Amino acid sequence: MLKLKYFGAVAEKIKVQEENIPFSNSSLQELVDALEQKYDLTSLSYSIAVNQKIVQDTNNYMLISNDVVALLPPFAGG
Amino acid sequence: MRYNRQIILPEVGEKGQEKLTQAKVLIIGAGGLGAAILPYLAAAGIGEIGIIDDDAIEISNLQRQVIYKSDAVGKSKALEAKEMALSLNPLIQINAITDTLNVKNAIPLFEYYDIMVDATDNLHTKYLINDACVVTHKPFVYGSIYKFQGQISVFNYQNGPTYRCLFPDESSNSKNCVDSGVMGISVGIIGMFQANEVLKMVLGIGNVLSGELLIYNMLNNDQQKFDLVKTNTNPLNQLDFEKKYNIIENTVLEISAKEALEQIDNSDVLFLDVRNEEELPKISLTNSIQIPLSDLEENLKKLDLNKAILIYCQSGIRSKKAAEILKKHQFLKVQSISGGALKLQEIIANNAISVS
Repeated sequence: MLKLKYFGAVAEKIKVQEENIPFSNSSLQELVDALEQKYDLTSLSYSIAVNQKIVQDTNNYMLISNDVVALLPPFAGG
Repeated sequence: MRYNRQIILPEVGEKGQEKLTQAKVLIIGAGGLGAAILPYLAAAGIGEIGIIDDDAIEISNLQRQVIYKSDAVGKSKALEAKEMALSLNPLIQINAITDTLNVKNAIPLFEYYDIMVDATDNLHTKYLINDACVVTHKPFVYGSIYKFQGQISVFNYQNGPTYRCLFPDESSNSKNCVDSGVMGISVGIIGMFQANEVLKMVLGIGNVLSGELLIYNMLNNDQQKFDLVKTNTNPLNQLDFEKKYNIIENTVLEISAKEALEQIDNSDVLFLDVRNEEELPKISLTNSIQIPLSDLEENLKKLDLNKAILIYCQSGIRSKKAAEILKKHQFLKVQSISGGALKLQEIIANNAISVS
């Protein structure tokens, strides 16, 4: 099981703030690519965190079961 | 004794109050966030506070920019903010700067102040603040809102991560409060978090949000922190900074929607729509192409370097960013249509111009 958390414009696009998905042996980037496809996120920009830590090298980050992945878009209002 | 209630706190004391008096803090933006941050820093006795904003007060500001008065609509935000802060605390110095933060004033300003506070409403300025802070080795307190959520962090503090370590992708197009909407309390709460960080930094108490991004949700009171590490290993120096931003700021030209529409039959002109596919109103023009801003850099080959490219988005902000990108890639004849699709639509409707 993987827990996904969404914020800001990403949560709006996906229409939920969090969801659980079945775990599969994939890299973080592979998961993100699948989400982009599923929810049409290509026009959105966001950073990605796993278990509350921002991850830059998403290609080489292997997920394990019970990881919590968060998609964090920049906010601009003020 | 004005500061008695905080001086008796063990974490503050007379020594802490002296630190507050010696501190110089620059608040960039006198809008929703700035209006929350300024009064509390002034009240606590920060010795010198700069407030930079070139806007005038509008009626729609008053639902969240609570330091302004209804009869001050039309007046300068920076000047009104200064007056409010000084009437609250006449012992401190307030510098009102009726200007926008730009490539010319950023570095001199940041060299003067100790801590910068990002109270802006657009991503472009956040990157500018970040880069000028890196050049001048100064920290900045980041704050931003999206509807009922806010983000806070402290960047470039004691060699900590920067804004670019968190959001390296500058081509993003996040919406601000004009487009998305906001409640006054949301900017209030996030502004409080920012003022809190400033005070912790000046007093040297508590844990500063450096290397951590705090996201707060007003609707469910959920608070989350995300750790981030420094990734940017190419710190900008002043020369690089000027080269980078001079290219961006001095050459982005705007053209009025009316003048742009006079070019619709000119085959040497190409209209570029940088909005997302689903955005309306669609403007149907013969010599035109649509490439969303986020895809622009990968799709430059679709554009003819020899044509004059007139760019539009919804209201004229993203199109400027698009113009910057094209300029960086050797497109010389590039202009951003001010007022965007909304203005184009208005003129077309009013004049019944035939566009196809």
